This record gives sequence, structure tokens and C-alpha cells, in this order.
Amino acid sequence: MKFVIVTNNPRVRDELGKEFEVDFANITYREVLCKVRDMIYEGHKLLTHPLSGSVKPNETPYKSILVGKKIGKMDLQDASIIENSIITADKFSVKFPEMPDSVREDFQLIDTTLIKSALMSIPEIF
Amino acid sequence: MSKIRVVQYINQFFAQIGGEEKADIPAELREGPVGPGLAFNAAWGDEAEVVATIICGDSYFNENLEKAQAEVLEMVKSQNPDMFIAGPAFNAGRYGVACGTIAKAVQDNLNIPVLTGMYVENPGADMFKKDVYIVATKNSAAGMRDAVKKMAPFALKLARHEAIGASCEEGYMPNGVRVNLFEKERGSARAVKMLIAKLNGKPFTTEFPMPSFDRVAPNPAVKDMAHATVALCTSGGIVPLGNPDHIESSSASHYGEYDIEGVMDLDAAHWATAHGGYDPVYANEDADRVLPVDVLREMEKEGRIGKLHNKFYTTVGNGTAVASSKAFAAEYAQKLKADGVDCVIMTST
Amino acid sequence: MKKLELGNILIHDVQFSNEGSKVENGVLYVNKEEICKIALEDENIASCEVFLARPGESVRITPVKDVIEPRVKVEGKGGIFPGWIAKVDTVGEGRTHVLKGAAVVTTGKIVGFQEGIIDMSGPGADYTPFSKTMNVVVKMEPVEGLKQHEHEYALRIAGFKIACFLGELGRNVTPDEVKTYEFDNIVESAAKYPNLPRVAYVQMLQSQGLLHDTYVYGVDAKKTLTTIITPTEVMDGAIVSGNCVSSCDKNPTYVHMNNPVVTDLFEQHGKTLNFVGMIITNENVYLADKERSSNWSAKLAKYLGCDGVIISQEGFGNPDTDLIMNTKKIEAEGIKTVIITDEYAGRDGKSQSLADADPSADAVVTGGNANQVIVLPPMETVYGHLEFVDTIAGGSANNIDAHGNITVEIQAITGATNETGFNYLSAR
Repeated sequence: MKFVIVTNNPRVRDELGKEFEVDFANITYREVLCKVRDMIYEGHKLLTHPLSGSVKPNETPYKSILVGKKIGKMDLQDASIIENSIITADKFSVKFPEMPDSVREDFQLIDTTLIKSALMSIPEIF
Repeated sequence: MSKIRVVQYINQFFAQIGGEEKADIPAELREGPVGPGLAFNAAWGDEAEVVATIICGDSYFNENLEKAQAEVLEMVKSQNPDMFIAGPAFNAGRYGVACGTIAKAVQDNLNIPVLTGMYVENPGADMFKKDVYIVATKNSAAGMRDAVKKMAPFALKLARHEAIGASCEEGYMPNGVRVNLFEKERGSARAVKMLIAKLNGKPFTTEFPMPSFDRVAPNPAVKDMAHATVALCTSGGIVPLGNPDHIESSSASHYGEYDIEGVMDLDAAHWATAHGGYDPVYANEDADRVLPVDVLREMEKEGRIGKLHNKFYTTVGNGTAVASSKAFAAEYAQKLKADGVDCVIMTST
Repeated sequence: MKKLELGNILIHDVQFSNEGSKVENGVLYVNKEEICKIALEDENIASCEVFLARPGESVRITPVKDVIEPRVKVEGKGGIFPGWIAKVDTVGEGRTHVLKGAAVVTTGKIVGFQEGIIDMSGPGADYTPFSKTMNVVVKMEPVEGLKQHEHEYALRIAGFKIACFLGELGRNVTPDEVKTYEFDNIVESAAKYPNLPRVAYVQMLQSQGLLHDTYVYGVDAKKTLTTIITPTEVMDGAIVSGNCVSSCDKNPTYVHMNNPVVTDLFEQHGKTLNFVGMIITNENVYLADKERSSNWSAKLAKYLGCDGVIISQEGFGNPDTDLIMNTKKIEAEGIKTVIITDEYAGRDGKSQSLADADPSADAVVTGGNANQVIVLPPMETVYGHLEFVDTIAGGSANNIDAHGNITVEIQAITGATNETGFNYLSAR
């Protein structure tokens, strides 16, 4: 199946961008979720859970999601998962205003390993 | 420390004035406790006392809602209490609704802690358990002793603005606010017990009720819209200017039926919203924004729909109990059917 | 029939010793050098310090990497932590000695948002099960430039080695009590308890990536299909934690070894129910994996002839979807479920608690609302790194006041809302 990695994580762009199609944008965690929601409404298939990782949505600024490229009918379960994920992310209201670069890089790393773990599940790749 | 001053609201029956035949007596303020207040005073000892009792007939309250509410509020205010108790109402439906309504009004307007009590199936429970603390009581007045035993200490806690524990600790009905507590048994032991009960068909109480899903399967599509009669309905509170049927701005108790025979456009001179849950400016400027009569009229003219039904049904969805909404719709759906309406566009806000 | 005897050596104190480490009269004597030597066997670990933390002391341990119970295999096949410390022989039979009441707590900075607080006294102590254990705290620092995943691995393995070293001290000590867990195969148990409802335990294992992994006999759980394990195997460390995120609802290795659903089902086995087995399934990121794994949970539960199951969860967000998929599919097989989860209902308790929901999940045990705010007063001693409290989940910037009080959500506390039901916290 063809897919695209929707992300705001520069590490994912740099590490995976050559091998896979990466849709990188310098946007917020929530904006990544919303972008994916809109894609699902247009008939893309959601391939990974939007709340991947136990790192809380107000804790990490980074999010990468695998979305199927094939255009079809909207998948109801996918729509429900992404909507619930946005609601869940929104309830973590207390935000961290700033963080040292080292912590930022750690969050980038964790997000990268999460999406890599999903890539390993795609039969045609490994 | 001086005693906590409590004002209590009861109906004609608990004031021993009479039953249904006396349900139309207007609100009256008496000094000191009446009826259940005596039991509360006994339970409180030196801690608190019912300084005044408001007695009101159930019919009077429910049929003159705004007036009665204003009168009772004024009476409560005149006593300058620390705490307000309504009921307990047990399974008496209109009394329960009155208790919930007035408790919420006192809480919102006078900013003092309030408490009421009723049976879990009392319609007032569903309507108000998210707004005010409601202690679950037995289903008849025979449960008064038990109700006082639960309500009296909880009222003291509320009056003293102490930290309120979880619903199962304090005895109030779950109100959707999740509160932590330490159980006597660890979670796994509770899970095993719950499973054994479930396997044996015995009652068990989930610690987290799933959000309720009321999914309605859509009807098959209307095949021939060009000959269909389409009705408009809304929970957005569109009413004739002046709100002649006094549909409440929140927790609506009824719906309205209005004639739009010959009305091509809902203009600001004749239509407005009664809804209290959103900024009304844009709906009041042009009510078609909520109830699109203008667009439907155009479609009617173009022949895209058969015709627009000459009546619409409206209520305010703001905080209105699901049970009430269902009852409204069940009633006017029959009217729509009788009038030969083929399909309905329901607008929300 | 399988039989495992757990010989509990009750540990009521822990002390440093300049002689060799030993267990004597319920006291665990720890020689620092011996512990450090084990840790420093790994060339990736640059330094090691050992501290003791006892219940009631003014001590805070943070960030907690893992908590491990010292055990030793005395009789029977294999050894503790198969696939890591011991070979992959199937464990869960024979006799195992336990230093009951003692725990190894590893701490060290792997990433900048490392979390997990254990307070040994004060209000925070009520929320963590590990304020009640005699803790041997091992703080390890890596060599410079070590990558995070190698760092995590080094700390994890050092923890297991140290726990096994301490467990070994109990090999020849006569236990204070012996608990016997007998487990029949499904044919035997069906014949033995024909009238009791057949119950299995479905354990969901965290399996998403770095700092989010669980291992079964050394295998990364995200690369496994849902499978069956006999419940006594976990008592010998068949399942271990590589999970360091979401400390309130992650399962430290200690919890896997002492899985409370397993022990509480054993408690009822042969009385009110027939405990027929344990199904382990994962919580992968890839949605098709979720579908497959939950299909297999339902299939295996049916295959075992279950009338009921208990499903436990691990972690936040994404696993809610696995939990609901498992529940829906198992209920659809006509098997009754009780699920154990926790909630993120917001600081005010008013938000939607779970990221997924279904009406078939009508029997829920909750570990409480992880967003509840708590003020942790300062402790005299901190073992670990307090500076992370700013950036951990449930914390917020500048959350330490002038008096040293830390305001955090209880999700920062190790084990606070554990989803195997290990703790006593709940919510309504």
C-alpha cells in the first residue's frame, strides 16, 4: 500500500524522507492531527494511531502519522479514531512553554522511533 | 462558631397542607423548620439549623415557572442563608423537577451551596444531576430517615466548603465530574469480583460508565424530493419575537409549534432565538441562519422540493435533558406524520 | 499439572554492609561495591551509586526507570528473566524464592522528559505502591555520547542483573511463607471444575517503540502475535518492562512479576471460577496490527472456551483503542469482560476520560483520574535528578514554589493509576 508520513518532526523528514514520502510542515501537534483528519474525510486510510506513544499531547511538540495514499470512501472507524484523538489532545490544556534543545531532540527521537515501529509492520517494506 | 443557617424548600404535601388538591398553593415563607426540617435539625444538633422553610405547591411552581422561581429566590435571599436544601422529593416527579430547578436557580443567582435529594428515576434527577448535588434517596417518603442520614452530613460539608469526595463516598448521584478515591481493595480484586458477579448474572456497578451512545439509524433516502413535503425543526430556539410560549433559554421544559404559512423569510422584526447557550446576535439578525426558511422557500419555488411544511417545531437544546428532548420529539413527530410530512431537516447550533 | 512454589522471605529492613551482601533475619544487607561492580560490567555505564530508601523516610526517587523484585529460581527449569539473564527455558514450575518487601529501583536520565516519582513519605507516598517497599536505589550514568536506546538497554539489563544478584542471596534462606500456585492443562481443569465458569486473563503489553516496549522471553512484544502464556511463567520474570513513559500507568517489571490479576484470579481458582490461562497481546502503533492482535485475543479466548475474561491495559491514548477493540470482539464472542483502565479526565475531572469507548465495555474498573493535581512537599533527600520535574508529563514549567513544593498531576507518580489493578486508587 502506498502511504505518506504526515509529520511536523524534522528528524522524521531528515531520516525517512529519502526512502519514503514525507509530508513535513512546520505546524503544531494539533495541526498535524487536524491535517490528518481532513485527509481521512477525503478518503485516505489512517494507518497508525494518532496518539501513538504514551508521551502526552501537551508534553511533546512532535507528531508523525502514517496515512494511506489510496483515495476511497471515508472509513468511519478511522474518522472516529482521529476525532477522538483530537478531543483527547485538547483536554491536555496545560502546555509547556519552552524546552531546552536537548529535550526537544529527545522528543524528536521518540516520535521517530514510534513511526519507525509502524513502518516495520508494513509487509512490503521489511 | 454560630450555627449554619439553612433555608429549605418543600412542597404542599410535606408541609402537611394537602395532596394534589392543594398543589396550586403559591409559595409561602415560614420561620423555622416544617416537616422534614425537624429531622434535619435533629441530625445537625448544634452545627446547623433550618431557619426558614419555603412551601410551594407543585402545580403552582411548574405552571408559573418564572414567577414562582423569582418569588422563591426572593424569599431565600431575604433569609441570608449559608445553605439551601430542596426536598428530598423521593419519587414525586413534579416535586423533583421543582427541587432541581430551584436549587439550580439559588446556586446560580445567590451563589450559596445547595443540595437536593430524590429517587434516581425521578425525572428531576436526570435533568439536574449535572448542575446540582442530588443525593439518591429511596422511592417513597418512607425513606425520609435514610435520606436525612445521607443529606444532613453532606449538607454540612457543602456549607463549610470542604473538599467533596467521590459520588460513591458522599452519596450524591454521579454528575460526570470524575473524583479520585482510595478503595479498600486493589483494582484487580475489584475486577475479579465484578467479573464473578457479571458471570453469575448478579448486579454490579461499573466504576466508569461509558459515555452513552444514542445512535439512530438513518431512514432510507427520500427518492422523490421534488414531490416531498419537507418540515424544518430546530433545537436552536428560533421563536416568534417575544417568545410567546416562554421557552426557557436553558433546560427547556417544552417545545413550540409555529405557523410559517406564507412566510418567505424569517426577518428580525418577527423572529428571534430564545437560546441562552450561544451568542444570539447573528440568529437575531437573521433567524434563517438557524432555521433556513428562506432557502427552503427558494427550493420550493424552483421545484426542487414539493413544499415546505407550514409549521415548524422548535426548542432550546441548551442543557435540556435528553429524556425531555426525546419526549418532545416523540410528540411532535406524530403531528408531522399526521400532517403528511415526508422528511424533516433538524438544525442544531 | 504445573506447580510453582513461591517461597517468600519477608524483608523488613535494608541496610548497607561492608561485608558481603546477605539476607539475615529478614534484613537485606547490601554491599555497595558489589552492586556497582555488576552495573559497571557494562562498558556503557560510566558510574553507579547505590542508596537505600525505606518506607516513611523523607526521600524522593526520580526519575524512576524500573522497579524490580529480587527473585531466584531454586528448583525447576530455567531461571529468572528468561531471554535476558537466564536462557529461554520455559519457566513457571518448581520453586522460586522471593525477597518479599524488597525492590530494586533504577534511576537515570535517558531522555530529558524522564518521569516517575516515588516519595517514601508524605502525600505522594499514598499514591505509589513502591513507598511501601524497602528499596535499593541504583543510580547509573552512561558514558558520554551513548545513544538513548543503548542507554535504556544498559539500565534495563543492569536492573535485572542486580535484582538477580540480590535474589540469589535468598537461595538458601528458609522462606517465611510458601505460596503454591497449581495450574492444570485445559483438559484436566475442565474435568476438575466442570461447573465453574472458565476465566482467562488478557494482558495488553505496551509495545510502541523506544521507551515504550515490553519483552516476553526476550522477544520484543510489538513483533509478536497474540499468544498464550501460563500465569506462573510471569512469576519467574517471563515478561519484563522496557517502558519508561507514562509512569502512572506503565507496568514496571515488579508489577509483571507480581501481576495482581494473576494472583487474584488464582485466589478464586477452583472456588468461584476456573482460571484457564493468560492471553498476552500487544498495543502497536500500526492500526492493522491492532485489528489483528485483537482478533487473535478474541479467537484465543474462544478457543480456551472462556465464559469471561479480565482485560488489563498499559499506557495512555493509543492503547484505549486496543482496549476497546479487544473488549468489543471478545464480548461479540459471547464472552463476558471486565476491563481495567485509568482515566485522563482533565484537572477538573470534567473531560472525556478515554480516547475510545464502546457500550459493550459495561464493566470497568478504573485506576483513577491521572490528571488529578497533587502538591508534593519537599523531601530531605532526592535520589536521582529533580530537574526533570519541570518537563515530565503532568508537570508544568516553574511548578516548584519557593518552599520547594512541587505541583504535579498524579500521572508523574510511579504506579499511581496502574491499569493491572495493582493500586487502590479509583474514581467515580
